[in-house]
Amino acid sequence: MSTNILEPDATPLEQGDVVAVAATAAPNDPILRIGRWLAAVTALICLAPIPLVLAVATTRVWQQGFWAGGFTLEWLANGWQRIAPNFAFSLRIAVLVLIIDLLIGLPAAWLIARRRFPGRRALQALSTVPIAIPGIALALGLILAYPTWKAGGWLLIAGHVLYTLPFMLGALTPTLGRRDLIELEAVAATLGASFPARLLTVTLPQIRTSLLAATIMVVTLSLGEFNVSFFLYTVMDTPLPVELYSGYITMRLEVAAATTVWFLALVVPAAIALERLGGAKVGQA
Amino acid sequence: MTALRARPAASPSTGPAKRRTGAPLPLALPLLVVVAGLLVWPMGTLAIRSFVGDDGGFTIQRYADVLTSARYLRSFAVTSVLAVISTLLALLLCIPAAVYLERAGTRFARTVAVAMTIPLSLPGIVIGFFVILVFGTTGVVPVAIQQMTGSRALQIAYTFSGLLLGYLYFNIPRVVLVIRGAVAGTSVEAIDAARTLGASPLRVYWSVVLPSLRPAIASATALSLATAFGAFGTAATLSRGYRVVPLDIAAAFTERFQPELAATLSLLLAIVTTTVLVGIGRLGEGKHR
Repeated sequence: MSTNILEPDATPLEQGDVVAVAATAAPNDPILRIGRWLAAVTALICLAPIPLVLAVATTRVWQQGFWAGGFTLEWLANGWQRIAPNFAFSLRIAVLVLIIDLLIGLPAAWLIARRRFPGRRALQALSTVPIAIPGIALALGLILAYPTWKAGGWLLIAGHVLYTLPFMLGALTPTLGRRDLIELEAVAATLGASFPARLLTVTLPQIRTSLLAATIMVVTLSLGEFNVSFFLYTVMDTPLPVELYSGYITMRLEVAAATTVWFLALVVPAAIALERLGGAKVGQA
Repeated sequence: MTALRARPAASPSTGPAKRRTGAPLPLALPLLVVVAGLLVWPMGTLAIRSFVGDDGGFTIQRYADVLTSARYLRSFAVTSVLAVISTLLALLLCIPAAVYLERAGTRFARTVAVAMTIPLSLPGIVIGFFVILVFGTTGVVPVAIQQMTGSRALQIAYTFSGLLLGYLYFNIPRVVLVIRGAVAGTSVEAIDAARTLGASPLRVYWSVVLPSLRPAIASATALSLATAFGAFGTAATLSRGYRVVPLDIAAAFTERFQPELAATLSLLLAIVTTTVLVGIGRLGEGKHR
C-alpha cells in the first residue's frame, strides 16, 4: 500500500493526538482515511472510561467536579479494604478452577488434536457453549440439578469450570495438533524417550506459550465471572464481581470507582499480555 | 537417557497421528463426565422442569403464560431491539476500522488494535459501571456540563441509550476480532483495482469489501447478537427501568421463587438466540456475488 508512507508512525494514544493525526496527515485513500477515523473513535470509546475511573476514584468530593476538595488516595484504600476478602476468595476459586481445567483439558485437548474418534466433532462444538448459552441459564440449570451442592461452594466451582473449560480446550487443541510438534515428539520417541519424558521435555515446553495464554485466560475469566456466579455463590463467601456489583448499586461513586480501579489493575495488564501472546478471548457480557 | 531403543519413525505410536482411529478414551473421560454432569443433565433438568406442572403432569401452560404476558413480550422486544441496534452500530464502526487496522500496519494501528480488545476482558457489570460513571446521575459528562453551564444534562445511564452504549461497548471488540481475521485473508488487489478504475469509496465498500467479507460479517453479527441476548451483568447494573430477558430470568428465580418460570424464560431465550444464529449462518453461507 503506497498510502502507508504518508502515515505517521509513532502516535501515543491521547485524545488530542488522535484527532490531530487523523486531521493533518490524511492519506489519499478515503477508505483508509474513514477507517482510521472510525478506529480512533472506537479505540477512544474503549479506553476513555479507564482514566475517568482513576480520576473519580482519586477525587475527594466528586459531585463538585474533577479533583474537587483535592486529590486523595483514601477512596482507593477504603476500596481495597472492602474487596480484599472477596479478592482472596475469588483468587482461590480461580486457582482451583485452573487446576481442574488443566487436569480435564490437557488430556482431552491432546485427544481431540491427535485422534479421530466418534463424537470428536461434538466435543469440539463445546467451545461454543459459553457463547451460545447465556451464563444465567447455565447457572439456573446447575442449581436446579444439584440444589444441595450450593452450600459447600462446589456449585460455584462447577459453574466456573463449565464456563472456562471451552477456552482452555480452544487454546490448547490447535497447538497440540501442530505438525512440527508431532514430528518433534516422533523424533524424541525414536531416540528412545519414554512417554513421560516426551511429555516433560518436548510437549509441555513446546506448548508453553499456549499454556500461559490459557492460564491467564482461565484465571481472568474466573476472577471476573458474574453471570454464572450470581446464582451459585453463598452469602458466606462472596466472589469479587458480586461484591463489585453490590458496590455499584449501593455505594457512592468514588468508592465504586476505587474498587473498580483495583479490579482493572488486575485484569487490564492480563488482557494486554494475552494480546501479546496472540490469543484474545470472547466471553459473556 | 537410556540406551537407544531405535524404532522406525512410522511405527504405530509415532506415525502421522491424524490417521489413527483407535482412541484411548480414558483421556476424554473427565471431559465427558463434565459435559454430561454439568451441561447435558442440568440443561435437561431445566427443560423438563419448564414442562412439568405443579401437579406433576406435563404442561405447556407456562409457555402460554409467558407468550401472552405483556410484561415478558415487552422484555423480549427490548432485548431484541437492544441486540440488533448495538450490533448494527458495532458493524458500522468496526468494519471500516478493521479494514484500516489490518491494511495500515503502522504502530498507531497496532496500538489502536490493542485498545479495542480491552473490553473483551471486562465483565458486564464493569461495563455497566462505566456507563454509570460517564452518564450516571453524578457521572463525568453531567458533572462536566454542570461546571460549564450550571445545570446537569445527559444523565442517560439508566435509560435505553445508556443500555445501548453498554451493549455497544461489549460488542465492539467482538466484531473487530472477527472482521480483522477475515480482512487479513481478502484480496488487497481487488480493492486497489476498483480504486484505480475510479470507483467511489462507497462503491468500493458496496461491491468489493462487503461481499468479500460477507461470511465474516455474518459470524460477527451472530457473535454480537448472541452476546447481547445473553448479557446479564451490564443490564443488571443499569436496570432501573428497562427489563431485558436475562433480568427477568434472575428475578423469577431470586425474587419470585419460581424456578419453573425462570426455566421457561431461559428456554425461550435459548430458542430465540439459536433461531437467530441459525438464520444468520444461512445468510453467511449464501452464494457470493
